[in-house]
Amino acid sequence: MAISTTELKQRIIEALNLQDLTAEQIDDEAPLFGTGLGLDSIDALELVVMLEKHYGIVIKDIEEGRPAFRSVRTLADFIEARRPAV
Amino acid sequence: MIAAPGTTVEEIWRAVASGACGLRPLSLFTSPRYGQIPVGEIPFDLQALGAPQRGSRSDKLAWLAVRDAVRAAGLDLGRAGDRTGVVLGCSVGGSYDSEKFLVTLLKKGRMRPCATRFHECSAPVDLVANSFGCYGPSFAISTACSSGGLAIATAADLIQSGAADVVITGGTDSLSRTTWAGFHSLLLVDAEGCRPFDVERGGMSFGEGAAALVLESEAHARERGATILARLTGWGASCDAYHATAPHPDGQGAVAAMQAALRRAHLRPHDIHYINAHGTGTRDNDLTEARAMQAVFGTRVPPFSSTKRVFGHALAASGALEAVVCIEALRHQQQPGNPGFRQRDSAIGLSPVERTRAARLTHVMSNSFGFGGNNAAVVFSRADVAPQTRATPVKPAAVISVGALLPEQVVERHTQWPLPTVTVTAHACGPFSDLATLNPIQRRRLNRLSQMAILAARRAGRPDPAQRVAITLGTGFGSLDEGAIFLENLIAKNEAEPMPTRFPGSVHNAPAGQVAIDLAAHGLNSAPTADEISFESALWQAMNQLACNEADEAFAGALDELNKYPLYLGKRWGVWNAESRPGEAAVFARLTPAAETPLARVSTIRLGRFRQPFDAEAEAQWIASSVDLAAVTLLITGAQGWRKFDSRYLDVVAALNRRRAQPLEHQTYKPDCGEFPAASGVGFVRAVTAARERGIRVLLYTLAWRGGKAICLVEP
Repeated sequence: MAISTTELKQRIIEALNLQDLTAEQIDDEAPLFGTGLGLDSIDALELVVMLEKHYGIVIKDIEEGRPAFRSVRTLADFIEARRPAV
Repeated sequence: MIAAPGTTVEEIWRAVASGACGLRPLSLFTSPRYGQIPVGEIPFDLQALGAPQRGSRSDKLAWLAVRDAVRAAGLDLGRAGDRTGVVLGCSVGGSYDSEKFLVTLLKKGRMRPCATRFHECSAPVDLVANSFGCYGPSFAISTACSSGGLAIATAADLIQSGAADVVITGGTDSLSRTTWAGFHSLLLVDAEGCRPFDVERGGMSFGEGAAALVLESEAHARERGATILARLTGWGASCDAYHATAPHPDGQGAVAAMQAALRRAHLRPHDIHYINAHGTGTRDNDLTEARAMQAVFGTRVPPFSSTKRVFGHALAASGALEAVVCIEALRHQQQPGNPGFRQRDSAIGLSPVERTRAARLTHVMSNSFGFGGNNAAVVFSRADVAPQTRATPVKPAAVISVGALLPEQVVERHTQWPLPTVTVTAHACGPFSDLATLNPIQRRRLNRLSQMAILAARRAGRPDPAQRVAITLGTGFGSLDEGAIFLENLIAKNEAEPMPTRFPGSVHNAPAGQVAIDLAAHGLNSAPTADEISFESALWQAMNQLACNEADEAFAGALDELNKYPLYLGKRWGVWNAESRPGEAAVFARLTPAAETPLARVSTIRLGRFRQPFDAEAEAQWIASSVDLAAVTLLITGAQGWRKFDSRYLDVVAALNRRRAQPLEHQTYKPDCGEFPAASGVGFVRAVTAARERGIRVLLYTLAWRGGKAICLVEP
């Protein structure tokens, strides 16, 4: 089953304490880090915890996750590819 | 010194010189998630080595190191104790022991509150000073991984200012579940053990330990015929003011610290013959440290190495352990190797000394960097190098503004999970009318304590960007909320779902580091902690930075927050009553060397310790020898609300009044703000206000529960 990007955005908002944002305000393709939502390296680590908690994906090296954290779209694709078979 | 490879300097130097890896499996506590990863754990029985029964693991490590250092120095503290201070770096403090309280509570439903009694990072300093009889200035420096280096630098400041002849300095930190899981949550630990500067490096390794140095003025050492092992000739500190955990990509702060240390030592870069690098083995640290060394030393970076694989990263102890490595390197005329290094990283473009080798060494440098972009560098020189430092007494400073968040309401607080519910009446700050002025990241990411610190600093006013600004923020408990949330989650979930944002926020210097980012303050960034004299310790450091011309402006602050654990334990222990309620506040005083129309001036600051049994007459003598008592109108003191302790203040007031024609007017600030370690910062605000409004001289006198004392004279 494909990942719902709306659900993923909710989880990002929750994990990163982005209370001022709603899922609709986050563009699927917009960069999460740097200019986009203005997230930084510690937020990336929170995303690592979120991926393990909700999707069972363990990341041990932040470099591994870096390409996935570009946007909501790339993150959804990453989860799709890495999610353990249920 | 004591660390994973041994319990004496000789044993440890042998391990360093042979490049031995001191890492082994963790046995101190169970770690379901990370237990397989090697660690620099101390395998020795501390009690068998003679450590005292009471105290946290960090306290005991410190005690053992200090005992051996004092013995080796042949220092007679019965004679020199009055002029001997203690400044130790400590960042983990009693966490390992107070964690047991939470583990027992969460896993077995039992309450063992005694385990929390030595939680504070200042506890090792108090244990050492009380146990060995040191009555000079004493406080801990808690700036995470740079603590040890910064403590040594601060000890040198105390001696150079004339505040002490001898300072026992160094650092101590034990392993703890919090730091262990915290660094893992930041993905900063190398599962194969750290490999500093290697192309394959994947992070740090953990360690623990303590090292102590007896630092002494030239005159004092000569007079008692001491054997001088080496000279501390240079020291420097700085702040990146860039990010909570990541170093500045070009290592700007590290460059500034190294340059300041060279300047103090009157040395040029090519005079340095060896650098013991911070070299943690993380991708970022090693890369930026190499860039920083290249910026300072150009194409001729001196031979350098990291000895982190020998010890593991012992956090606040590491700067102290590595200072001893530097001294031994000078004594043996050898550059230690860098275990764990195999292949050069082309991005770094430098290789460390691979194996220990003989070399002519006159001056060597040691770097220590920490969270909050906190940097310290120290230079040690051979014992026969002529001393260059000049006496630089602390001078009066002008208070140009004060910013404060004071408790405005008395509230009923109810303690929550995992504690039983009790209700405690407390003095609480907030809501903050200017909270909305914080930027979105500050509002989203920072805990309340850091937000309080930033707002207090902003209320004091923004410095001119061209000024060199130092920040010293005294705190007794630091970020208890953040640490507790991190640890409760860790234990309740067996290390699953760690909280990477919470962990860096839990170090004592996190608020000071955030203030530095907010104000773009790149000077010294210190978080001293010393129970009730935490604020005065910060004030001393701030005034000293101005006197040494290391800063144009300094923000000296006080910060503590209400937290359910002290609320609950205080209730249980009967600390809280109608006269003694818990409180909180954030205060910053902006100081400059001089100003045309200051709010007030601080003309005297002095720290020390009182003797047991308490002697009010001796205290009055100490105060009268420091200030002109006849010129003082108002005395502001602390007060605990317990007769046993408050009678000390009253007895000293009586003893002072016997020396005067007119009795002193005596006030205390505690009924306004409640009880918390840094509360004397609120007393300082009151002293400044009284000096300004009434045109009088005000003396602030503070006693700390475990032995520290301070006076501070505020003039119109």
